[in-house]
Amino acid sequence: MNEDDVCSDTDEICVSSIFLEGEDINMSISHAADSIGLKEIPRYEVKIIEEDDWMKGAQESFHPVEVTEGLWVVPKWITPPDIQAMNIILNPGLAFGTGDHPTTKLCLLLLHDCIKGGEHILDYGTGTGILAIAALKFGAAFAVGVDIDSQAIASASENATLNNIGPDKLQLHLIASQTSSSCRDDWPSRVVEGENAFEIDRVTHKDKYDVVIANILLNPLLNLADQIIFSAKPGAIIGLSGILSEQVQNILQKYSLFLEGIDVSKMDDWACVSGRKRKNIDIC
Amino acid sequence: MAAKEILTRRPVAATIKLTVPAAAARPAPPVGPALGQYRLNLMAFCKDFNARTQKYKPDTPMAVTITAFKDNTFEFTVKSPSITWYLKKAAGIESGSGRPGHVTASTLSLKHVYEIAKVKQNDHYLQNMSLEAITKSIIGTANSMGIQIVRDLD
Repeated sequence: MNEDDVCSDTDEICVSSIFLEGEDINMSISHAADSIGLKEIPRYEVKIIEEDDWMKGAQESFHPVEVTEGLWVVPKWITPPDIQAMNIILNPGLAFGTGDHPTTKLCLLLLHDCIKGGEHILDYGTGTGILAIAALKFGAAFAVGVDIDSQAIASASENATLNNIGPDKLQLHLIASQTSSSCRDDWPSRVVEGENAFEIDRVTHKDKYDVVIANILLNPLLNLADQIIFSAKPGAIIGLSGILSEQVQNILQKYSLFLEGIDVSKMDDWACVSGRKRKNIDIC
Repeated sequence: MAAKEILTRRPVAATIKLTVPAAAARPAPPVGPALGQYRLNLMAFCKDFNARTQKYKPDTPMAVTITAFKDNTFEFTVKSPSITWYLKKAAGIESGSGRPGHVTASTLSLKHVYEIAKVKQNDHYLQNMSLEAITKSIIGTANSMGIQIVRDLD
């Protein structure tokens, strides 16, 4: 697949295109020139992009973030601006959750408000592990982070170590995706090996968690509703995010059967829906 | 933020065009190299794009145009595939007829057209059109491709 970008200088336009290894660049360029009737092929140059080049670029966009007073999320290569504050040190790699995104902030604020100490937390879609790690720093006793992406689990493991959190406090599990579309075949991706459905139940456990937090996307939240509710104790706090404000209604439709005391918090276009699991439901 | 017109005086570093499957943006090629080289926040883009494309069928190739500003911020707009893409997909054909009007490439029912119209209605450049107007437009496109539209398929 070709992708283009256009960078404009004063009188010249330059178009860069990204090709996969092995594609016939010459042919693509002459087809393109032909299709718009250019008389001659514009001059071009071919460069190889190393994975490091663009990964480094992406990492540079990560800065220390003060989520709320006294709570910072800091990249591991930067000294915390406030040594006295509660600092969550992260190396995000290619996983989601640096404290910058409104959904991460909404979830962190929810956890900050509701954790009193000693809780068991389940972080569904853990990414960098930021929510599970924050929950432990706020006083939770034990956290489990699950994700369908092996890069997330790798990042979260490293981040646990960076924050001096051992396996007695945080456990991470790679689980199989519900749909088969979690693997894209456009690039050599690491295969998502997952535990099967029965093992997910063993990991997430019925009625075990005091707080279940899931910052994912609308469709997974709808598909995983049973699992998410199942794993929470009656009366437990459930927080759902990664949804746009316009998607809140869909979440409420599915979850209001199971949750009471529902609250919706918003930031920019994003929302977080939270509530407590109703005491008398039975889902098997 | 993504759907607003870009009437801004922020200096633009580049315009990036990509095709990304709906709800499946990941920090890997093609997104990774294209955005990483302008130091844009990859994960923020993926999260935003994936959230905004939840309503499309997984794997639908979405056309994304990203404006990267010199301060490393960005905005983007998303368009669903062209009507011709949807018609070919619905009809299960690779290309339209070589002689539209004379040779029929395939046949679809009004129900197909209606389903396509409902998806296209989400595109912001069509939001001022009624469902009926979009449907008529799709039938026109189908005819120009040699795809016949009938009331019902048996």
